Amino acid sequence: MKRYAIIAVIALVLLWGWLRAFAWFDPVRFCRIHIDVELLEGDRAPIREAIALVRREDPLAYQALCRWVDRIQEERQCDAGDPQADPRLRGQPVFTPGAVDAALLRAREAPGCYVRGSRIIVLRRAPEGGGSPALVRERADALKRLAGYSQAFWSGGPR
Amino acid sequence: MTQRRLVVMGVVGAVVAVVALRYFVWLDLGGRCVIGLRPSLVGYDNTTIKRALATLQRGSPEDYRKVCAHVAWINPNPSCGGFGGGCFWHSEGNRGRASVDISTEHGLIWTIAILVHETSHAVQYHEGRPPKFDLEHECYGEDDRILRALVQFE
Repeated sequence: MKRYAIIAVIALVLLWGWLRAFAWFDPVRFCRIHIDVELLEGDRAPIREAIALVRREDPLAYQALCRWVDRIQEERQCDAGDPQADPRLRGQPVFTPGAVDAALLRAREAPGCYVRGSRIIVLRRAPEGGGSPALVRERADALKRLAGYSQAFWSGGPR
Repeated sequence: MTQRRLVVMGVVGAVVAVVALRYFVWLDLGGRCVIGLRPSLVGYDNTTIKRALATLQRGSPEDYRKVCAHVAWINPNPSCGGFGGGCFWHSEGNRGRASVDISTEHGLIWTIAILVHETSHAVQYHEGRPPKFDLEHECYGEDDRILRALVQFE
């Protein structure tokens, strides 16, 4: 009997670790959101801090985040268009602000974006030494807004 | 064959089937869409391709149907497009549903864009457009369109 209890405890610890290692895990609210970051350089901690901030200050937004978002990915930027669609810009590594659609530049500077048709939020990769309170605040605000976009998509609200 | 050996073989077979379904096949029975995913050699696993397909399925059903109709295999390894790019080869082997190369290096958003871009080349090829036709311009327009439609940032 004692042996089974030990095995059960070890299994629970492993399960807990597996659920938490690559995700935000909040068993009390039945909330698990997978967090994807760059394999070598990425850091999940600032993203977890941003989610914790949302939970503290806006329970409704946190509820929406848990229900309508299942994955948060860090990517280099949000691309809301392909500048190479313009033949003059094809093959250019750097774009001058006047030459490219302003919306594309705003998207690249945005802290994050929602990809319609998914439950995925993309956050722009943190700059070197990221994790400052300002970044956490910016990301928390972005998460609230983007979770709302996901909710609107999946619940058939205004798009 | 002993009963124990049968059980072991059954378990191994089940594990192989689960791994194959999870990583090497996109299976959408409702949409009558089956696409094979080649193994990735660069560590970016095939689930990014699957997420891109799932996103298109819900976010842009028309583009999803085009992928299903014109693409049979997706190779997620870097090829002529390098890291972060894609390729479609004009070859006899691609006369039917084609094989396209799609790098997943830059994450979900660009994977979706490249998938739509290379599918556009497959459509061009299947429609019999001449090889010297300005093929790229149309396909850059297609990936630009899908990014504008799906990526919501403000």
